[in-house]
Amino acid sequence: MATQHSRSAARLMISPAVILLLGWMLIPLALTLYFSFLRYNLLMPGTNPFVGLENYSYFLSDPAFTAAMVNTLLLVGGVLVITVVGGILLALLLDQDIWGQGVVRILVIAPFFVMPTVSALVWKNMFMNPVNGLFAHLAEFLGLSAFDFLSQAPLASIIGIVSWQWLPFATLILLTAMQSLDSEQLEAAEMDGAGPLSRFWFIMLPHLARAITVVVLIQTIFLLSVFAEILVTTNGGPGTASTNLTYLVYAESLLRFDVGTGSAGGVVAIILANIVAIFLMRMIGKNLDA
Amino acid sequence: MGRITLDKVTKSFGEVQVIPPLDLTIEDGEFVVFVGPSGCGKSTLLRLIAGLEDVTSGEIRIDGRNATETPPARRGLAMVFQSYALYPHMSVRKNIAFPLRMAGLEKAEQDRRVVEAAKVLNLTDYLDRRPGQLSGGQRQRVAIGRAIVREPAAFLFDEPLSNLDAALRVGMRLEISELHERLKTTMIYVTHDQVEAMTMADKIVVLRAGNIEQVGSPLDLYHTPRNLFVAGFIGSPKMNLINGNAAKQHGASTIGVRPEHLRIVPEGGLWTGTVGVSEHLGSDTFLHVHDTGLADVITVRAEGEVGLRHGDTIHLTPREDKVHRFDEQGGRVA
Ligand SMILES: Nc1ncnc2c1ncn2[C@@H]1O[C@H](COP(=O)(O)OP(=O)(O)OP(=O)(O)O)[C@@H](O)[C@H]1O
Ligand SMILES: [Mg+2]
Repeated sequence: MATQHSRSAARLMISPAVILLLGWMLIPLALTLYFSFLRYNLLMPGTNPFVGLENYSYFLSDPAFTAAMVNTLLLVGGVLVITVVGGILLALLLDQDIWGQGVVRILVIAPFFVMPTVSALVWKNMFMNPVNGLFAHLAEFLGLSAFDFLSQAPLASIIGIVSWQWLPFATLILLTAMQSLDSEQLEAAEMDGAGPLSRFWFIMLPHLARAITVVVLIQTIFLLSVFAEILVTTNGGPGTASTNLTYLVYAESLLRFDVGTGSAGGVVAIILANIVAIFLMRMIGKNLDA
Repeated sequence: MGRITLDKVTKSFGEVQVIPPLDLTIEDGEFVVFVGPSGCGKSTLLRLIAGLEDVTSGEIRIDGRNATETPPARRGLAMVFQSYALYPHMSVRKNIAFPLRMAGLEKAEQDRRVVEAAKVLNLTDYLDRRPGQLSGGQRQRVAIGRAIVREPAAFLFDEPLSNLDAALRVGMRLEISELHERLKTTMIYVTHDQVEAMTMADKIVVLRAGNIEQVGSPLDLYHTPRNLFVAGFIGSPKMNLINGNAAKQHGASTIGVRPEHLRIVPEGGLWTGTVGVSEHLGSDTFLHVHDTGLADVITVRAEGEVGLRHGDTIHLTPREDKVHRFDEQGGRVA
């Protein structure tokens, strides 16, 4: 790109992509912002007067909002803990030379290929259903009474379902990281008198720190917007027991046809997601430095 | 104490026997060097002694006690790896203290020993750095530091200097030799570098395909190689090996003459040839001589500079007392 000419040609060439991307992101964002300041209800067509921050105060003072906040954090945190711990254990297991290694690895990856709606429905109808579900049959076999997961422990059940989906991702990343550990380091530690637990704690875990950070960051982004799993299983209920922010925004704008409040919720969600991101980067971002 | 005995030790990886039955005794305080071509089993042998590989059969004794089944940590040996194998997320101080920490030593005692080792190895200024912030030579010293704080019965080195540049290698070679003088601990050192083997060893073990070809002091191996393989392997440049009539005249199937034992004479030498490439090192000149009818190339080492050019005719005479004679099987003829 040395000459003036080639530089402007390059700009011309990439401009369609840039314009498309900008439009793709900026227009919805700008419209969301714009709608969030209007009284805009689909049930009352006609004028959409400008109401300032009314939508925001309505959304933020809604008791459902606090519940949704707590649920969102519990959901993200719970799934992160389960997938990271489970992922490390599974990666340790898959790193061994076990019989049928290839098949086991494919089986472990499989859940990642199942669509969220499908996997949530499978869990809901085939496992957790209090009458026909596998767990109900198991409980019956053991002489216990069936547990209605989705109404008794809706949030925990959803955490379970989402963890099941994300475990393969965490396992894969952590497995590749584990395989990149220099075996001589482990042997050196062994000669230095470190037992299996010390070797895991002092050598493996620090080596995995960067991979764990990547897993946490990427998963957080996706887990903040979990939606399909809630929609097809509990519909956010009972009450607001399993409503997260994403679902609350959906409920406001599409169930109550209140586009204005929904948009305000969307903006709040964006701000909260950024706060979480900054917080995370402060906390563990230094692991990413070489 | 660090007397290590290998008794009919073998090692197989699956079907392949890498180490056929092998006996070896390493005396306390000895500096033993394993040399041999790539893939001959030097590292495997070292790892067997360390306990990082299980022996297929045979027995390893350390100070008379059977250590064949003892886990690596309890053999009282310390190993320095070719890749250093430092712990990248720990400071130099923590790296060196790691074996002490694992042994459950008191913090104060740990610190004392780390500082002492750092002083010996000139690492005092680097104790708070990470391995990634050190040069190759410094990393190597940290690896050695981690080994010496444990006060092991023996040190095992697997090609510890092969990642360093030539000048640093010479320096570290001297440091390791000095360390051995000071600690008087058994050291087993794997290398494929001639010079390291010759200069550092009390005893050299020459290996080929897992077999011990000869064990002896460096000068033993240089003066009386037991067979053709050792003759060709020890010495740089390599010994000239000559078959055919010239060998028959000496009553052997093959004779060997080291480049430094060939004299250039003005007239009527035993052998005649044409000078090819000459390598001038300043102190010495290596001449590659062709068309002698003895071998493809005969290497001659001449002191200082010689006035011979490419294409000149050269007359050579071997020093009769320095001619090595070998029979058909490659064994030495006395
Ligand atoms: N884990 C293993 N599985 C199968 N074969 C192995 C294994 N480790 C080593 N070998 C084989 O054993 C032989 C000896 O290997 P070793 O590493 O001891 O050689 P070496 O003398 O150290 O060579 P180098 O000088 O190149 O380091 C080689 O032929 C190698 O292929
Ligand atoms: Mg080796």
